[in-house]
Amino acid sequence: MSYFRVTLLRSAIGLPRRSTDVLKALGLKKRMGTVFHAVSPSVAGQIMRVKELVSVEEVDRRLTKQEVRLQRKPDPGYYIEKSAVQERSEMNAQA
Amino acid sequence: MFKPTNALFGGLLWKTPWRLSSPQKARQRKRLRAVDRVVDTLSAALTRNGQSAKAVERWYAEMPREEEMLPKDKYTLFDKKEKSYRKSIHKLPKWTRVSQRVNPPGF
Repeated sequence: MSYFRVTLLRSAIGLPRRSTDVLKALGLKKRMGTVFHAVSPSVAGQIMRVKELVSVEEVDRRLTKQEVRLQRKPDPGYYIEKSAVQERSEMNAQA
Repeated sequence: MFKPTNALFGGLLWKTPWRLSSPQKARQRKRLRAVDRVVDTLSAALTRNGQSAKAVERWYAEMPREEEMLPKDKYTLFDKKEKSYRKSIHKLPKWTRVSQRVNPPGF
């Protein structure tokens, strides 16, 4: 099961009503908004109606809103040092 | 400071250049390729699931890709009122957000 990750890059202002309605049906409200839809012919047809406005990727799963936000976050440029004891206990917890 | 210009005196004077600049053409090619990429992604995802969509198949049957298009078709479109039957594509309303790839055969 794979998903389309659809991002709205260009707004549909001034375009025919149908384009706006299709974006609404896909759940795209603002520019740079991202939605996930399961791969199916009907979703593909909807994306074809607004293909000039969106960018599409095929992904394995739906990301949550927080995950999408984290992907856009820049690298902070630092990392927090930990004591060896603390790091070891975290590694043990993961394993 | 009032500067007498044709635009201020004459009322409606559209100062749209009659041809595209080369960066405008470059961006037009970029947009054409972006649309090709979207359709390719859709098609690849559907075939992987063993499905197909009519709109995608029709696009492949009827529309040329960016690299297959002639420069004439990328930057101009048919207009019966023009002497050369062609006008620059930026005269098309919303031209950066609509697909205009094919023209009448012979023109």
